[in-house]
Amino acid sequence: MFETIQNLALGFSVALSPSVLMYAFVGCLVGTLVGVLPGVGPLAGISLLLPATFGLNATNAIVMLAGIYYGAMYGGSTTSILMRIPGEAASVMTCIDGYAMARKGRAGAALAIAAVGSYVAGTISVVALMFLAPPLATFALRFGPPEYFALLLLGLLVLAYMSGGSMAKALAMAAFGLLLGMVGIDQMTGYFRFAYGIVELGDGIGVVPVAVGLFGVAEILISAGQKTPQEIVQPKFRELLPSKTEWRESVMPTARGTVLGFLIGVIPGSAHIISSFVSYALERKLSKTPEQFGKGAVAGVAGPESANNAATSGAFVPMLALGVPSGPIPAVMLAAMMVHGISPGPMLINQQPQLFWGFIASMYIGNVMLLILNLPMVGLFVNVLRVPYPLLYPAILAFSVLGVYAVNGSVVDVWIMFAMGAVGFVLRKLQFETAPVVLGVVLAPMIEMALRQSLAMSDGRYAIFFSRPIATTLLAVGAVLVILALRPLVMRTLDWRARLALVEKGENL
Amino acid sequence: MTVLRMLLVALVVLAAGAPALAQEAYPSRPITVVAPFPPGGIADLTGRPLVAALEKVLKNPVALVNRQGAAGAVGMQSVAVSKPDGYTLLVALSSISIIPEADKLFGRPPAYTVDQFAPIALLTADPTVLVVRTESPWKTAKELVEDAKKRPNQILYSSSGVYGTLHMAMELLSQAAGIKLRHVPASGGGPAVTALLGGHVEALASGPAAVLPHIKAGKLRVLAGWGAERIAALPDVPTFRELGYPEAEFYIWSGLFAPKATPAPVLAKLRDAVKQAVNEPEFKDVMAKQETPITFKQGEDFQKFFDADARRLAEGVRRVGKIETK
Amino acid sequence: MTIDRVGGGALVLLALFTLWESRKLPLGTLQNPGPSYVPVILSLLLLGFGLVVIAMGRGSDGVASVGWGEWRHAIAILGCLAFMALALERLGYRITIFAALAFLLGVVERRGVVTTTVFAVAFSGLSFYLFATVLRVQLPRSPWGF
Repeated sequence: MFETIQNLALGFSVALSPSVLMYAFVGCLVGTLVGVLPGVGPLAGISLLLPATFGLNATNAIVMLAGIYYGAMYGGSTTSILMRIPGEAASVMTCIDGYAMARKGRAGAALAIAAVGSYVAGTISVVALMFLAPPLATFALRFGPPEYFALLLLGLLVLAYMSGGSMAKALAMAAFGLLLGMVGIDQMTGYFRFAYGIVELGDGIGVVPVAVGLFGVAEILISAGQKTPQEIVQPKFRELLPSKTEWRESVMPTARGTVLGFLIGVIPGSAHIISSFVSYALERKLSKTPEQFGKGAVAGVAGPESANNAATSGAFVPMLALGVPSGPIPAVMLAAMMVHGISPGPMLINQQPQLFWGFIASMYIGNVMLLILNLPMVGLFVNVLRVPYPLLYPAILAFSVLGVYAVNGSVVDVWIMFAMGAVGFVLRKLQFETAPVVLGVVLAPMIEMALRQSLAMSDGRYAIFFSRPIATTLLAVGAVLVILALRPLVMRTLDWRARLALVEKGENL
Repeated sequence: MTVLRMLLVALVVLAAGAPALAQEAYPSRPITVVAPFPPGGIADLTGRPLVAALEKVLKNPVALVNRQGAAGAVGMQSVAVSKPDGYTLLVALSSISIIPEADKLFGRPPAYTVDQFAPIALLTADPTVLVVRTESPWKTAKELVEDAKKRPNQILYSSSGVYGTLHMAMELLSQAAGIKLRHVPASGGGPAVTALLGGHVEALASGPAAVLPHIKAGKLRVLAGWGAERIAALPDVPTFRELGYPEAEFYIWSGLFAPKATPAPVLAKLRDAVKQAVNEPEFKDVMAKQETPITFKQGEDFQKFFDADARRLAEGVRRVGKIETK
Repeated sequence: MTIDRVGGGALVLLALFTLWESRKLPLGTLQNPGPSYVPVILSLLLLGFGLVVIAMGRGSDGVASVGWGEWRHAIAILGCLAFMALALERLGYRITIFAALAFLLGVVERRGVVTTTVFAVAFSGLSFYLFATVLRVQLPRSPWGF
């Protein structure tokens, strides 16, 4: 314990040196700018700016990259709340309630809650990272294909709790999204599926064009043609920050989101995106006013935003403790380290203490910087809403094209966004929910891969899912959730029978 | 008459000077080097330092761009069909020979063919190494092979993807030693190492750079290498050639390519530039830090190496055939 | 013609289409699923859910009642988006965005010539500068180098 404090002191001394501070600030600023672009999230941000870090020394480079990472997550929430366009795929859930809050004039409150929630989650998870990194990482390694399958299946079941409307329609949308996720090269056999000769579809339909198209472009298509402009209540200055009630409503969701997000982030290879979906579903289930969700529930913003940021820090656990990349973003950071001659691995903490602890310290500082950057800007950002919509939406459209193109440098992505925009327009008109589609696109390839990898490991025997403790536990939890979800149905059927029996008795009298 | 003669002279002068005019000095615009993999991969680790060195040598901006997709096919295809003016280049890994073969196997029109490229130089040629966890019962490669013969299709190994470099390396070994191992593909080099570390598979063929830190930390044990010679960083590790399996030779190499129709003087200039670039002290420094030896080959040398490698891989892919789904 | 029936019907058609397309790929077995195994299962699920939605769809709103007033606007915007996708790599970023913004602001939204031009030029220029020059994002340039 004492050693950790000592090391942390060392880390802060590194992180608080002017040059490191400056690089952290630049990273945060650039990350926010990049994150505001629809669709361009932390991964794209880091990849785009990786070359710029080559001239720097290792610590400065890593600190700047981490700043970009966090900044992109903060910037992404801003676009989601103000314009209902996901700033990155993980902010899709924030779009729903965040934008609803903005419509009610609570944009400032939403932005502030998102910023503070992200800050709290980021800071707490960095603390957890500090103390728990090695044991957590070892635990995380035990997640193999059967465990992923069980976990992701749980993630899918979350859908049952996510939607307010017709269950059948939500499930149909999920199936649609899952089917979309099947496009691309089958990673177990090498066959091209549903790609029709377009090489760029080999990696599948990306979640970014789908999310930006279904949420952003569809929103524009629906709103732009309205004869009467949208009712956006303009907030007064003192109403910019959240009210006491709103703060109170955000506390528990933030806490739950942090824990949930961190745990999901620690597991290598899991989609950190699902942390926000799971948090939303959890908050909705636990809320005393579930009908508020979708209309501007504070918990619907606080939970997912905290989960997102916590998953970010969680993702660093395997990377720092074991030198194992837990996803594409840590992989890029690892590569950045390797180019600077630092070999990440289990020995990193011992061999390069100033890098490790400086990194941790700069994560604290980065979170503080972003809070300072974002909170006062809330007033500035809210003014974006004052711009007349006919002027605003062409700019948003152009930004969306820029963002979606920039991720892969591929026009095919822009076409996918186009197609999903049209589809999203029709779906909204026909009153289908679009969030399950995004979840499906993300989860489908992973669930299938996990299933087939597990079967490859066990040579076709399904018993593998029940012979491993973690997988079995997760599946059991899933089964319980399914039963709980079906209970109302069962109750209604039983109730119906009882009533019928009563009627018959009455008739016989 | 004099006017006509003057015109004729002018024409001759122009004609003589025209090629010089038409041929603007190369390079005069920024050069783009495409790395057809996601950022952070092996192509980046070699490509980015190379690009920095090339910039210095050519005194002209050179930038690396990631164009990922379809295990590299997207980026490679984009360079194959790009304008052959020397401003679009490709840094490719050994998978460049595998992808067209896999396409042939599935009866698809190939995304590109290898002869759409003109090789400029080979940069690195890391042989893959066979790694297992230190807790596993095999201390030498021979023990693993013996065990595999006794229990066919029981020993699990991971790879970066089906028909990928790590998969093909293991397949070459299996074919050479006459054993059958069970393949559990992962979605990339990183996840493949993670799967091994977590104990979900038991063996892996990997590029040395990715596993060296774990070997040094005592988590993984390296049994043998697929190279013709031992690796400098691992001098005690025998090669499969020494162990009696000479057909198990595989390198994850990286090389610089240009579209085939690039004019010869441009190619010559590039070849010179790369030769100088790999001798730049900064480049050598970065590669040494990554513990990746620079294996520089050009011209005939590279062509021979490339052809032999392509032949081996084509044969390997054909023997793997389509994955059985009875 | 309620919305649920139309929506459900479209999904059913999509499911049938994917089932048809999957027949080219090997199915495999339960122990050893092939490339089309999971897509087939998902198509069947989609088919099932689509049918449920149709069956329960009698009580939902009528298609016409939902209000399709914006469709002309939507088509114009979609057309502009398609243009952007086509022109982005052929005409370069700045020209494409300028043309698209000019179209949307000038033709669709009927703003004045001055507003349109200023906005379109400023946006395309500044965004290119910020992202391509400063942040080194790879944005396509036109064949004239611009």
